[in-house]
Order: sequence, then C-alpha cells, then structure tokens
Amino acid sequence: MADLSGDSKGMGKVFAVFGPLAFGLRYLLDRKWILAIVVISSVVSTLFRLLVPIYIGDAVTAIQKIQYSDVEYYSLLIFAVSSISGVVQFVVNYGSQYISQSYAYNLRKDVFSHLIRKKFSFFEEQTSGDLLSRSTMDIEASRNFILNTSSQLIPTLFLIIFAFVFLFTINPYFAGIFTIAVPILIYIGIVFQRKQRTHWRRIRTYYGQMNEQLQENIVGNRVVRGFSAEVQEMAKFSGTTGSYYDEYIIVARLRGKYNNLMPLVVSAAATGILLYGGYTDIIGATVVGPLVAAVNIFSLISFPVSFLGRLIVFSENARAGISRIQTVLDSDKDEDLELGEKKRVGGNLKFDHISFKREGFEILKDISFEVKAGEFVGLTGRTAAGKSTLVNLIPRFYDPVSGTISIGGTNVSKVSLALLRNSVAFVPQEINLISGTIRQNIAFGSSKGDLETIKWAARIARISDFIEALPDAYETMVGERGITLSGGQRQRVAIARALLTKPEILILDDATSSVDPETELEIFRGIRENLSGTTVITVTHRESALRFSDRVLSLNDGVLTEETPVQHIPVVPDKFRDEEGEADA
Amino acid sequence: MAYEYEQEEEKFIPMQKGSRAFGRLLKDIFSMRRESSILIGAVLTTAIAATLYPLSLAFAINSVISGNFEYLYIYATIFFLLYVVQFFSNRERTISSTVLAQSVIRSLRERAFENLQYVPVTFFGKVKTGYLISRITNDGETLSEFLTFQLPQVVSGVATVIVSISIMFYYDFNLTLYALIVIPALMGFTLSLQGKVRRNYLRTRRSIAAITGNLSENINAVRTIKSFNVEKNMEERFDGLNNTNFTANMKASLLSSLYGSSIRVIEAVGVAIVLIAGALQLKAGLASVGILVAFVVYVQEFFEPVVQLSQLYNSYQSSMVGVARIYGIIDFPRQSSTENATMPADFRDHIELRGVSFSYGEDDALRNINIKIRKGEKIGIVGHTGAGKTTLSNLIMKFYSPTEGEILLDGQNLRSISTGDYRKLIAPVLQEPFMFKGSVYDNVLFSNPGASREQIDALVKRFSLGEVFRNLPDGLKTNIGEMGRNLSEGQRQAISILRAFIRDPEILILDEPTSQIDPYSEKLIIDSLSDFLEDKTLILITHRFSMVALVDRIIVLNEGNVVEEGNFNDLLSSDGVFHHLYSIQYGNSDGF
Repeated sequence: MADLSGDSKGMGKVFAVFGPLAFGLRYLLDRKWILAIVVISSVVSTLFRLLVPIYIGDAVTAIQKIQYSDVEYYSLLIFAVSSISGVVQFVVNYGSQYISQSYAYNLRKDVFSHLIRKKFSFFEEQTSGDLLSRSTMDIEASRNFILNTSSQLIPTLFLIIFAFVFLFTINPYFAGIFTIAVPILIYIGIVFQRKQRTHWRRIRTYYGQMNEQLQENIVGNRVVRGFSAEVQEMAKFSGTTGSYYDEYIIVARLRGKYNNLMPLVVSAAATGILLYGGYTDIIGATVVGPLVAAVNIFSLISFPVSFLGRLIVFSENARAGISRIQTVLDSDKDEDLELGEKKRVGGNLKFDHISFKREGFEILKDISFEVKAGEFVGLTGRTAAGKSTLVNLIPRFYDPVSGTISIGGTNVSKVSLALLRNSVAFVPQEINLISGTIRQNIAFGSSKGDLETIKWAARIARISDFIEALPDAYETMVGERGITLSGGQRQRVAIARALLTKPEILILDDATSSVDPETELEIFRGIRENLSGTTVITVTHRESALRFSDRVLSLNDGVLTEETPVQHIPVVPDKFRDEEGEADA
Repeated sequence: MAYEYEQEEEKFIPMQKGSRAFGRLLKDIFSMRRESSILIGAVLTTAIAATLYPLSLAFAINSVISGNFEYLYIYATIFFLLYVVQFFSNRERTISSTVLAQSVIRSLRERAFENLQYVPVTFFGKVKTGYLISRITNDGETLSEFLTFQLPQVVSGVATVIVSISIMFYYDFNLTLYALIVIPALMGFTLSLQGKVRRNYLRTRRSIAAITGNLSENINAVRTIKSFNVEKNMEERFDGLNNTNFTANMKASLLSSLYGSSIRVIEAVGVAIVLIAGALQLKAGLASVGILVAFVVYVQEFFEPVVQLSQLYNSYQSSMVGVARIYGIIDFPRQSSTENATMPADFRDHIELRGVSFSYGEDDALRNINIKIRKGEKIGIVGHTGAGKTTLSNLIMKFYSPTEGEILLDGQNLRSISTGDYRKLIAPVLQEPFMFKGSVYDNVLFSNPGASREQIDALVKRFSLGEVFRNLPDGLKTNIGEMGRNLSEGQRQAISILRAFIRDPEILILDEPTSQIDPYSEKLIIDSLSDFLEDKTLILITHRFSMVALVDRIIVLNEGNVVEEGNFNDLLSSDGVFHHLYSIQYGNSDGF
C-alpha cells in the first residue's frame, strides 16, 4: 500500500497520479497482453496523429513554393495518416474500455467474495448503506480512472513526448522552448493534486453517508411515519447533501484555477515559438511551413493537456475510493470457510469453560454444560443476559475468548466452517428473506430443493396451510425483506428453511417470538416427531415453550444454571390470580 | 428473465421520456439566474476567444511571409491574450457549472428523499431498497459529469462552430463551402447511430442497477447467508450479474469506439479537401497562405465539438435515464389521504372503525370490523398469528386506508384529517422496532427531539429498564450499530417503548411490545404502566396474556373477523378462542 500513499519524496510525487493504477494492475494480471496492445496502439495512434501537423506544414511550404502537385501528395498523406491513426485509435478506445471493465469485473468479484466472508463483527462496525457505496460507486470511481488512464493519460504522455521529438526535428530551439513548459506543467499538476486530496476523501465519505441515511430511512419508514419525524429526517439528509455539495465546490474552485493554468502554459510556449520562429523566418526569409507545423502541434496537444487536470481529479477520486474499498479487501476479518476438518458433526454438544467478552464487558463467564443428542433444550434468562451470544458461538459466528465448544467430541474450531454450519442450522432473531418466491426462500440453504421436501418442511413449520392458500402457492413472490409477510409468517418460513437442511443441531434464537403460543407448540411437536435425532436449542421467554422443553437452562449475568420446567411460575395478571384455578379447570 | 424485476419496477414507477426530463432539468438550471448567466457568459467568451485565435495565428503567419515584424508581435500578443481570456472565462465556467450541477443534483436528491417520506407505505413493499438508493445516489451522480463538463462544452462547441463558420464565410466564401462538405456526412452518420446508442445505455444502466440491488440484498442478508452457509451460491448469482454488466458495457463500447475512429477518418477527408481546394484557390490568387492555415485549424476544430457532441449524446442518454428515474420518485403520487387531508386532528371523545375491511391483494385480511374506542379506554386485541391484529393497528396508524368502511375520529373520517397532525396524537410501539445508528439516547430522542436526556433517564427508572441496558459499555450513550445490531431484540424493544413513552401521547398503540423481554422485566414495566396510562387511550395488540390486566375490554380476532369481545373474566369463562389461547399459555402442556 506504500505505493498508494503518494507522499513519498521526489519523483514519487510525479507518479502519485498513477497510484491507483498500481492497485488496478493487480486485477489486470490476466489482461497483460491486452494492456500491452493498447499501449502500443496508443503509441502508433499518437505518432500518426502528430504526422498530420507535420504534413500540413509541408503542404503549406509547397503552397508557398507554388508546387501544387506536392500539395495533392501531402493532402493524400494527411488523409492516409489520419485514417491509420483513426483505425488504431479504435483499438485504444475499445481496448481501454475492455481493460477498465475487466478491472471492475474482477474487483467487484473480489470485493463480493470478501464481503460475504466477513465475520459478524465486521458488520457491527460498518453500515450496509456505506458498504454498498464502497462496493458500487467507489469501484466505479477507480474504474473511471483506469479507463481514462489508458484512453487519455497514456496517449497524452506519448503525445507530449512525440511533440517534443517532432519539434526537435523541426527546430531544436522550438523543442528548447517546449522544455521550459513541461516542468511547469508537472509542478501545477502536483500542487493541484495535493490540494484536492482531502476533499475527495470527504466527498466519498459523505457519499457513503448519503447511502447510509437513505437505507435507514427506507427500511425504517414506518417508524419515521409513526412518529411523524419526516421533517426531522429531511433536515438530516439535507445536512449530508449540503456537506457533499460544499466539498464539491471547493474542488471546483481548485480545478477552475489549476486545470486551466495548464493550457495557458502550453499556449505561452506556442506564443514563444511563434515569436521566435516568426522572427528567424523573417530574418532568414525561409518558408513558413515548419513554423505552421510547430504551432499546429501545439494546437493539437492543447486539448489533451487541458484534460490532464481532469485526469488528476479522476486519480484523486479513485485514490479516495480505493482506500475505502481496501477496508473490504483487508482480509483480517475474513472467515475461511474451508479450513479445517471436512466432516459433518453430530451428537452431543458440550461447552467447556466458555467465556466471552465484548468491548471489555464480560458477557459469558466460565460457562460449562452438555446437551445430549436429540434433546430439546430451552434457554431462558433476563433480557441482554447473553443468550443470543451464547448460541451464536455454536456455529462460530463469534469465537469465545477462552474455553472450547465441541460437538460429538470434536472441537468446533477444528471443523471447516462450511461443514459446521451445514450441521448446525441457526434461525436468527432478525429474519431476512431474499426477494424471490417462497419456494426459493425455503430452499435457500439446501440443494434438496424438490417441492416435496419443501412442503414437508413447510408443514412442520406450520406455514404450509398459509402458503397453499395463496393463489401461486410456493411460487408466490415475497418482496425484499419479506415485507408482504407478517412477522410470524416470516419466522415460520425461516424455520422451514432451517428444517430443510435436516440439521444435527437446530438453534432457534427467539425465532418464534411473533408466532402465537399454540402454533409455536405445534411447530415444536412437529420437529420432535419428524427430526427426532436433531438437538434443538430454543432461546425463549415463553412459559409454554419452556414447559415443552426437556431441560431448561437459565442464563443470568453471564452465569448459567440448570432449571427444571416445573420451577417456572406462570406470570399471570395479579388481578385475575383468583380465577387461575378456574381457568385451568 | 435477467431483468424481470427491473421491468416491473419501471412499470411501477413510471418514467418520463428523456427529452421531457431534460426540459424539466433545464428549467431547474435556469431558475438559478445568477449562476446560469455567469455560465452562459463564460461559455460564450471562451467560444469567441477560441474562434479568434486561428485568425490571429493566420495574421501572424501572413506577417511572417510579408516580413512585417511589428504585425508579428501584435498578432502573437493577441494570440496569447486570447488564451489568457480563455483562462479566466474557463475558470468561471468551471466554478459556475459545478455550482449549477451540484445544486441541481442536491435539490433532486432532497426532493426525492422528501417525497419518499410521503409515498404510500405499500411503495416500499414493491421496490427494492438497493434500487431505490441507487436511483437517488448513483443516478444523481451520472448527472454530475453531464452538467459539469459535457453540456457547457457542447454549448461552447456549437458557439465556436457558428462563429468560426461566419468568420470563414467572411474571409473566403468558396473555400468555406469546401470545408463544410463533410459536415452533412458527419451529422448523418452521428444521427443514424442514436437509436442503437440509447438502447445500449439503457442496457448498461439496468445491469448496473441489478448489481447494486443484488449487493444491497446480500449485505442486508449476510447473517442469514452465513447461517445457511450459502456464500458460494450467492457468489455465483452475483457473478452472473457482473458478467451481464461486463457484456453490456463492451457492446456499448464497441459502437462508441467505432464511431470515434470513423470521425477521425472523416476529419482527415475534410482537411485534405481544404488543402487541395485551398491550393487551387491560391493558384487563382484568391486566398492567402495564412488564411489557408487558419481554415485547416478551423476544420480540425469543427470536429472536436462534434466528437464531444457524440460523447454528449451518450452521456445525455445515460443522464436523462438517470434523471427520469429520480423524477419518477419525485413524481410518485403521495399517499392519497395526505393530499386533501387538512382537517386538524383533535381527539375528544372516540375513535370508531365502522364496517372496516381491508385486503393486501387477494383475500381480506380484515372483514367488516366494527369497534368503538372511547377516549381513555384501554382495549386489547388478541388472536392467533395472522388473525389481522397488526393490520388493524396499521389501519389505525393510517399507514393504510381501509378498502371498505371507514375509520372515524370523533365522527370525522380519518381520510380528511391531516396525517401528520393525527399521528402526533399517537405513539406506536411497533412489532419490529427499527433502530437508527447512534446511541440509545439518539434513538429515543428521535421521536421527540425536544426532550432531554434527563427525561429519558427518568423514564428508564420509572419503568425499571436500567437492568435491560446493564450490559452496555457506555450506558445509554453506547453506539448501538446499524439497525441496533449490537443490541439484543429485547433491548431494541425497550428502546421502542421509551421512544413511544417519551412522546407522552394521547393514544398509545402497543403491538407485542414485550414479546422479547423477559417476564421479570416485563412485569416491572407493566406495574408502572397503569399509572402512566391514566387518561391515555391504549390499544394493545398481543397474544401474550401478561399485559391484559391493563385493559378494560378485549377484542378477539380470528381470520380477519371479530369473534369475541368482552372483559377478561367474561371471555375466560366462555369456551371460545380466548379461553383456548389462554390455556395453551398457562395451562398444562400435557393436554397436547
């Protein structure tokens, strides 16, 4: 990453503009040949392009000398070299697009595979809106730079080099005048680049924030409306768009100044050549052709040079984007799904002196317990006692600070995550349905996607009646996040999804909270009957669920105790306590 | 197949034609009088200066040929000064065009955001979040390049062409005609490609929107994906979209690259024609060498704007598609009831649901519901999952309007009452409490920004919620993460409760407010509630019975119908749905 910092001394500054390119090359290793072809093509194209002013100069000389047949000859030559330059330019343009799109394709793929393998803790620090902008607009910003580097920057640099060579062949003094201009151009470029750097970083951050706020506002639209907080939300969003706007304007002011200085420097050199060349031509009474050619060369490079400033803008934008993408690409929070023993684990679950801390706060203290295969265990305890944390440790969404968890005698940290999570089905509190049909949603985690098995799982989850009553039954589309289903229905689809994998261990992390107690018990009974070998751990506060369990574990202040279901006293409204007996009767 | 959703979305959110959208955009731009006049002034100055410089070059060269030092110095100085003028005019142009572009983009984004606050709730069920975000952020961004660079450049290019053609005609009529021979060919060629170009750009936009949508979904569902170990499947899906996008872009690029090359060839033809024709003119003694050189420069300069124009066309297409997509959100009709609902909300006596039915599409979720709730009354709504309890609360919250029947506030139809005003009377505790990133305090204050932290602390104490938050490292100042992910569901519910209570509302709607809170904490909350609820109207939705002590009257829903109604004792002694539900929760499970 050092090559990206751009703060290295001396020549490093000049090449800082290429910083994002060094990053880009990593994703273009398999496109080396195309890259080479594009560079060679841009050499050829610029060479032929610069021949045009030379031949124009020659034609003018011929006209001045009244050699008209030569004029026709040079006109044909101009046509020929322009055409060649044009055709070769096609390779440059198309090739550049190919390179930049390949880069974006490969980078996106890499970002996606990193993103999806990040540990849970990564997502606790990041927001999805911001991650989305990192994986879309930030990639786009760097792609744009790669495209412009290959289609504009490289040809422009060759154009400057060849312009120098051609000027030298026309008249060494012309080249001398040009030589003064180049360092000034470079200096302007460096200052420009430095001054806008921090602003681009902020622009990209505000952009991410915009995504973030949109995401929250859209997903939380009911809360916003429910509390009529619309105006408040608009003010918040407006604050971000305002900061974004301000940064853009600062960059525009810088660009207005520095970017336009560049063609001014080029024109100063052209004026110098015009004055010097004109003067010597008059003194020597020579033909004006070479002078015309020289000035024409300048008018040819003046536009690409004015574009250099924008390339610097693109480069800074890309640099800011890449440093944000890097957060996703850094693999220290990645999980390796394949590492470890490749075996399905089953049998009894054992926690051996497990402790877990978050931000220095001890959530689980030296927890030890064992659950036999096929047992149905209720886990209860006060809100925020650490119940979710405890069950999250089983499929290794988090790793304990100390102690070991083993399933069927195998330490879970020795098993590959892919297989561990195949054996352990986890239904989380927060249910995400993907957009698609109900069938696709149930079949989500399993290759056993045949309709019969899906129906079987849906039946146990007590959602089949509901689904089958829908006009499209299992082919009914559910909206993003399953918005069209009620909370309880969504939970049951998620349970069906988990059952389909026929897991060794099923963890229900308060996964039936929106299902009424009667249906909940029916689901539990169904699991009991159909998946008798499966160990079930259900996190719940519900009396009826605890009473159904074989064993009840209670977690309080990070300490686990075993309870018997009988010890639980139903919480019945005080004022009706008298009637309790009657109700039971 | 690949774009099924996209097409559906485009149908759902109608899109204006590009030209329409462009017209509207121009109106927005010109409404900023000062900036737009500076921009036009700067663009025209640049164009004129740019056209005059080949002429000063021509005169300088003619003075070299004629051996006149003085004229050489004068014209060379003018040559340079014209560039200095361009420096200043371009600087103004850069700044004013950015101000215009960014102001327009900002206002588009804010207007879209604003309208999102008022579209019907059902809107969010139809449109994917990722796509919606992409419309407001990414589509806005495509406009930036177009408005900042391309549009001013083309205006300046067109001005340059017009001024230079006038100058050319002035100096040499015949040679100008020769120089213009290629222009029709150029125009015809450019126009013939437009249709294809547009289709290509639509395809690339859709494919990138599909990528954004997919990414958004995956990021949001990442926990589920991990739980089910389907990372690989998701990668394959994404790769498919990524590939489609690549192909679409390459296809679009093929056409634009071919176009660029063809332009170069046409340009060469133009220059050659001018040279040959110029030579003939010179032979006839009709032109000077300097003018001929100027003409060659002019012909070359024609092509720059034309090439830009073609790029502009691409950019115009993609930007207008983008703008039309943002306008689609801005124009989306707001929830009908917010439009002409202006009656102030004043709750004096009762809320009544009269013959209310509601359906989300096919079947009725609620059928012919008649309930009258007096001010200060506390009612409970119970029933099985899917009985329609939450739908009922959504209707009372005015998230939806009944398909049949009406809801009346003191006899006044809810449709005609100002939604904002009405919702100020109510505080809901929704089934799925949504959390914003920020601290616990921030999240509670969200519903009542005027409240103080001390008030929150007092509420926490009053409802004994301190215990629930005891594991937070920074207490109520702890950052709870996006969507409150760093909290447990129970803690989120506690925040949701605080959020409603801090508003001290007249009507409280509690939808399973304590389903994830442990019975002990729940009991503490309930104990303090009766006091808090004094004089307040309560609508409590639950299938848990721990809270029914708070209510005066219970309404039992079953499959969208009211099946039982009465107080706790009445319902328990009758052998109905309520009795059944109760005995499952508190009876003996041996019975099953």
